[in-house]
Amino acid sequence: MNAITPMKPWKTPILKLLFFLLGAIKPLQKDLKNLSFIHFARWVVVGRNQFPHLSAKQPREELRYDYLLFFSNFNGTWNQYIDAFSAVLSRGLNLIWRWSEKYPGSRPVTEFKRYIALVQFDTDYYYNVYPRAATNDVKAALRVQDALDQFALRSQSLSPAEFKTAWLELLVRVQPDLGSTGVAPVGT
Amino acid sequence: MANQSGQVYGLTILSPIIEDNRLDICHSMDLRWYLGHLPRDHKSPFARISSTYLARLVVMDDVVYVGAPACEEHLKSRYLIFETNFDGDLDAYLTLMARETPEFVEAVWKHCVGYPGLSDLAVFIAYMKKCQITTTFYFADVNDRTVQTSLKALQTQSALARFIEKHQGQPPAEIQREFGALLQAMAKAPPPVPGGDESHRMPQEDRGHD
Repeated sequence: MNAITPMKPWKTPILKLLFFLLGAIKPLQKDLKNLSFIHFARWVVVGRNQFPHLSAKQPREELRYDYLLFFSNFNGTWNQYIDAFSAVLSRGLNLIWRWSEKYPGSRPVTEFKRYIALVQFDTDYYYNVYPRAATNDVKAALRVQDALDQFALRSQSLSPAEFKTAWLELLVRVQPDLGSTGVAPVGT
Repeated sequence: MANQSGQVYGLTILSPIIEDNRLDICHSMDLRWYLGHLPRDHKSPFARISSTYLARLVVMDDVVYVGAPACEEHLKSRYLIFETNFDGDLDAYLTLMARETPEFVEAVWKHCVGYPGLSDLAVFIAYMKKCQITTTFYFADVNDRTVQTSLKALQTQSALARFIEKHQGQPPAEIQREFGALLQAMAKAPPPVPGGDESHRMPQEDRGHD
């Protein structure tokens, strides 16, 4: 998902300060982390004089607004994403986008969706290294790998009886993380 | 540094697209046509740029007017947005792009103002950095592993789930022996394919295993 919103330039330093605090104080990212369906997300402030100008033949931009770009890589559908954002991160979203022109707030969600639909633009090309895996799948797989690596080191030196106990312990440990990856069901 | 989260780098590039009214097909349309036909799976150029997690290319036609009382304004150029998430260092990544996918880089950035070509790697890197916009806030959910580690872990997860399903209820000595064989097989297995293949479009029960 890609979105761009205009901001009055005097508001930009305030937003940058908020992002600085969000980056520096890790507990503030807790809700974003706990949502656990965003692989990567970024906000990029492009100042009105900051659009790259690379040739005398290229006309210089003459803009009155700074622009806030937002890019997100998430699992699931657009509606699931916006609903979850609005339900879980409402306060955080408002802190970020309230500096953008005509931002209606993240609740009620209908107005929020209307605004996002207005300011977003489509992706022409998208690549994902593991298209079948949600971010939860990746985290689960890494836990399985860690557990298996530890178990593998000692598994072959155990007697069958010891192996049985250790194997059951491994199964209990990895069981929640063994779900298969694939295409998510389409939400409504 | 906002461009990085742990070991992951978030690169944002805005390259102005050439405007030339003499052409039958403008650069932005030609670029969109190319991107629309570029493979997105294991045949993607990004599968060869092996440190890439996710990448996108977007032709941005203009900024958005959100309605009165905001002012309406427009860009004078279209911009190619290149957003990518990868392991490690920016210079190493741009070098990998130039070395592993020169035809892709050429086909995309030849439509952009000031693109110097790939004959001089340092000049290409300098050009990309001129187009770079610093990320203000960057979030990476998993930022302490590598692409290969994560791909390998997904392969392991699949193999272990299949093994458990197949061997449940068997005597411990047999499971132990088979498990040893599984470890050997996994050690010899070819590395997982980045970008996936057509099988991810199939129902689970019809797919081969990873």
